Amino acid sequence: MKRTRLHFLTATLLALAPVCAAQQPATDKGFSATAEIVKAATDGQVWGALIFASSAAEAKAVKTGDLPKELEDLPKRLGKVFDFKSFELMGQHTQQIFREYESWVVPSKDLFLKVDSKGPAEGGGMNLHLQFWQEQQVLLKTDAVLRAGSPLFIGGPKWRGGQLVFVLMLKKGNDQ
Amino acid sequence: MKTSPDETQIVRWLDGEMDAAESAAFEKEVAAHPERRAEMESMKKLGATLRASVPASREVPHADFFNSQIQVRIAQEEMDAERSRPRSKAGVFSWLRIPMFATAAALIAIAGLLWMQRGSGSGSVILSSYVPNPGVQARTFHDDEANATVIILDGLAEYPADKSIAGHRVHHSETDTAVATTTLFSEDGGVLLVLAKDARNQPRVLSHSPRG
Repeated sequence: MKRTRLHFLTATLLALAPVCAAQQPATDKGFSATAEIVKAATDGQVWGALIFASSAAEAKAVKTGDLPKELEDLPKRLGKVFDFKSFELMGQHTQQIFREYESWVVPSKDLFLKVDSKGPAEGGGMNLHLQFWQEQQVLLKTDAVLRAGSPLFIGGPKWRGGQLVFVLMLKKGNDQ
Repeated sequence: MKTSPDETQIVRWLDGEMDAAESAAFEKEVAAHPERRAEMESMKKLGATLRASVPASREVPHADFFNSQIQVRIAQEEMDAERSRPRSKAGVFSWLRIPMFATAAALIAIAGLLWMQRGSGSGSVILSSYVPNPGVQARTFHDDEANATVIILDGLAEYPADKSIAGHRVHHSETDTAVATTTLFSEDGGVLLVLAKDARNQPRVLSHSPRG
């Protein structure tokens, strides 16, 4: 019964999504589905990625072109912290940080992050409350000051002889 | 005799802090106690009402006064503790010990201050962290070479090797604040997934198109 309801809800949302998109096409800045969304104030933008760190011979390495310019050296940086040879970019998501609403950074359905803005930080950057979720379970809650150029690495669960790492970075231009 | 779940467990369940097994056991336990089910529904409604009507954060009124009162209280308690401490016989070098300790403490404080200033000026900083699962430990540090702040979660259950972990290359996303859903789109405009909230205010992924 519960599954049937979920399927119905999914089908409804999927059916409505293209209609909304057709009515108000996406702009370069993204959020344009409804008038309310356009009005939502933002405090900046974050880039989130799920990385698979591995030393397996068949591991795929991150292509530099797939990364934001300010983090082109991400594999090198990850290599300083995590003892693996290869870092595969599994998913990435750039998300606005809403001032008054929660924001979700979801490069994967398996591991994702909830971000609440607490406003600009003294000395630059953003004060953020972060929740690291593994499907329906919250693994970590943290308060952090995030500054552009200095990403946050979260070492998550082990998988297939490697480790899943979540990367969160404040995009430049938002570091006040 | 089985005990019914306490409020701490209910709050942990509502906050999504239980793993799948613990959550299933909890729900089974609650099913055996109809009165607890009513209590949980009441707490869920209360939570929803609070979220709808109370701002997520609020400044402490008269924060300076509040802080100064705490400092006064701490100073008073330290003085009381000092007075009640038995006096030891003064040794020949006891006069030297106090300045030495004071100097060492001052040096430590200066080093800490310099470290904090260094941290606050350039890199990201973790102010606090909380891990709901008691079997998991969070290690936090700043790696200078990587210029990154790191949180390592030790003790997390390993994913089974046969589990498929899928990622997305999200082109853009749209958030509808009225119904608290975030829809992620691919480069070709297709819906990758919709993230919504369930009755417990926990995230639910409603659709998913595996990539790669």
